[in-house]
Parts: sequence; C-alpha cells; structure tokens
Amino acid sequence: MKLVPGNIFGFWTMLFVSICILLIVKLAKDGKFVVKLRRIAGLEAIEEAIGRATEMGKPVHFSPGIADVTGDTAPQTFAALEVLGYVTGLSAKYNAELIVSIRIPNVFPLAQEVVRQGYMAAGKTDLFKEDTVRFLSSEQFAYIAGVLGIFARQRVAANLMIGAFWAESLLMAEGGAQVGAIQVAGTANMHQIPFFVAACDYTLIGEEIYAGGAYLSQDKVRLGSIASQDYIKLALMAVIFVGAVMMTAGNDWLRVLLVK
Amino acid sequence: MRREIPLFITFLVGVIFLFGPITTGDVPLVGMQFREIVSVYLSPWTTIISAFAIGLASVNLLRLHGNYVARKRPGWINSAALVFSMLFFTVARTIRELRPADPDIVAFYSRIFDNIAAPLSGAMFAILAFYIASASYRAFRARSLEASVLLVAAIVVMLGAAPVGAIIWDYFPSLQRWLLAVPNTAGQRAIIIGAAIGGFATSLRILFGLERGYLGGE
Repeated sequence: MKLVPGNIFGFWTMLFVSICILLIVKLAKDGKFVVKLRRIAGLEAIEEAIGRATEMGKPVHFSPGIADVTGDTAPQTFAALEVLGYVTGLSAKYNAELIVSIRIPNVFPLAQEVVRQGYMAAGKTDLFKEDTVRFLSSEQFAYIAGVLGIFARQRVAANLMIGAFWAESLLMAEGGAQVGAIQVAGTANMHQIPFFVAACDYTLIGEEIYAGGAYLSQDKVRLGSIASQDYIKLALMAVIFVGAVMMTAGNDWLRVLLVK
Repeated sequence: MRREIPLFITFLVGVIFLFGPITTGDVPLVGMQFREIVSVYLSPWTTIISAFAIGLASVNLLRLHGNYVARKRPGWINSAALVFSMLFFTVARTIRELRPADPDIVAFYSRIFDNIAAPLSGAMFAILAFYIASASYRAFRARSLEASVLLVAAIVVMLGAAPVGAIIWDYFPSLQRWLLAVPNTAGQRAIIIGAAIGGFATSLRILFGLERGYLGGE
C-alpha cells in the first residue's frame, strides 16, 4: 500500500497537523494550557434571543443548515448540532418553545436525540413534543417554503441559523426579518456570508461556528482544539509569506513540494 | 458500551474513508484497497442508513400532519394538501419505477413533475430577487463606520458593473474590478482558509471521539 502521487505532501502535512492538534488538546485537557477565547457577539446573543422569545411568548426557530452529515460540509452540520444542544438547554431553562426544522433525513434522528437529551438533562422532558424537531422536505426550496410558513403562522421571535446554507439563506433571513425575529446566523459557506451579514442581527463568519461549541460549553478539549487551529493558521501564514517571497524571487521549490 | 461502540465505528469508518482516495495498493491483512472497502462494504451501508432515515423522517411528517388534519388544528387544510401531495407523488413515482418502459406513465410523471414541482421550486428561487432588494434597502445605511464602508463598496461595485457607471465616471469599472480582485478576494481566501482548518479540526475531534455532541447528552 502506498500514497497516490500528488497526495504525499498533503498526507504528511495532515499527519503533522493532527499530531499538533491532539497535543494541544491534551495539554488543554490536563490544565497545562489555559485557553481564553475572544468575545464572539453572535454566540453571546443567543441567550438574549431566547430570553426575548420567552418574554414575547413566541417560539425560537433553529435550523442546523441544509447539509448532510457526509461530505465536506458535514463539519458545519456537526457544529450546528453542538450549538443546538446549548440552545435546547437554554430553551428548557427559560421555558421557551423550540422549533427545529430539518431538511436532510439523516440529520433528523441526530437532531431529535440532541434535543431530547437536552431536555432530559434540564429535567424538562415534558417540553419535548412530537413537533419540536420537524423534518420539512428534502427539496431545498420546499424546505424553505416550510420554514417561511412556520415564521408566518407562528411568528417566531428568534431565528437561529447555524450550519451550511446555500441559496435559501437570504430567503430564511429575510423571512425572519419580516416577522420581526432577532436573528443569529453562522455559516462557513463563503458565498452566503454576505447575505447573512446584510439581513441578520448577528453573524458568525466561517470558523466562528466551529468555535461555537467550545465557546458556549467552555469545555477544555474543545477550547484546546480552537487554540490549535489558531497556531496552525499562524504556521500557514508563515508558509504563505515564505512561498510568496520565494515565487517572487523566481524560486518555485515550495510550490513543487506542495504538489508532490 | 452504548457510547464506545458508535465511537469506534465512527473512527474505523472515518479512517477508511480518509485513506480511500489517497492510497493505492492492498491494505495489509485485509487484501483489499481502501477504496474497494468503501465501494464494496461501506457505500451500500450509507445507502441503507439513508433509506431508513428517509423512512423515519417521512413517517414523522405523515404522523405530524395527519394529527393536524384529524384534530382540525388551525391551518389543517395546508397539512391535508401536504399529505395528499406526498402520497400522490409517492404512488406516481412508484408506478413509474415499476413500469419504466411504459411511455404513457413516464410522460405522465414527467408532466406532473415539470408542471407542478419544478415551477414551485422556481417560484421560491425567484422570490430571492425581491428579498435581495429588501435586504439591501435595510442593510445599506450609514449607521456606523462599517455600515458606511459597506454602503460605499456596494455603490462602487453596482456602478462599476452597470454601463451607466462608466458614463458617470471612467474609473468606476476598473475600481470595481480592483475591489473584487484584491480586498474582496483576500478576505474571502482568509475566511476560506480559516473555515477549512476549523472543519478539519472538527472532523478530527469527531474521528477521535473527542466531540460527542451529535450523540446527544454531552
């Protein structure tokens, strides 16, 4: 067994980066490395949004995106499920009605379990109803039509959209704005971030959604993972700088290495 | 064991999928390539699990809306329409799959899909144009420094793209191209790199069982 040419450098880089991440996570877990995250306004606004919904007696809507748990957008879905666990805990604490709309059938049982366990942990199993987590449709625009219907009929007071979104992102954000909901959105899909920035009250940009679980739970393992990402980014910035200088000087050694 | 078994399966399957595209040659002691393990053993399982998930979600949908219709909850007419549409298309597609060579059935299904489902999706997509206008109207206001920068950038890009911009000022098109090619691209690449690293770290946590939120309870 051997590596396919063109993947050799990538494989060793992945291995090195993985070891770095696991090492920093271990140090953080053992308390030898204390991680402090900067304030992320969007994540702090989630509690405010749920509190507002409770005061108004209106429901909170949560969408974990429209991506599956497979493929390159799967991490966004898992990040959204982490935040969903936190949102469920807050909804239980404030006795706010929670509606979770799901597009992908594979995500439906995961979301149901996260919400059910969240209510159980808070000791409020009676708040979990059959229609708390709703599968709407696998069709992208049928799903968003269903979401807009929920907004119009139930006049949600808070709309939380964390995960992978595509063309329906602005439809959901504007629909929420039209019913006067406070909106917190986050995605790592580059092309949808501008729509969320324009239409929502708070936006989590790119990797901030991955920091959501760590920020909200303050779990040492997750915090360590977030810190390791920053160190990797620093290393990457150094590589980009060195590569740019080398290429400008006419030396493509680094470029050749990257494609090995 | 209730948690350990799913975590072990996650790790094993994740490693196989990870090494599938980047390795060649048989795996020691297994006698198959990683990509063969994926195509022969794992892909059918993903299909089976997806089928069960669709069944579970569909049953939940039918139960929910069936209850709404039975109890005549406000808006039960919409639920009745949903249930009817779901059953109608299920039956129509099933008949089409069972008789793929019958031209009348194939034409009937194509007709109902092309004239009902497709236009409805198109209509929802078309609403985007109006929502872009309303979102722009709300967003492009000089309330703060960042909002003002957004407003000026939007004006430059819009005028640079429209023919009238070049008539107003010769440099609008080149300024628009520079804005999109340099600061916009730089910002996008930075976000993409950060998001990619974040996705990788999240995947690693799931692979090694450090992230268990999706199992519920933690």
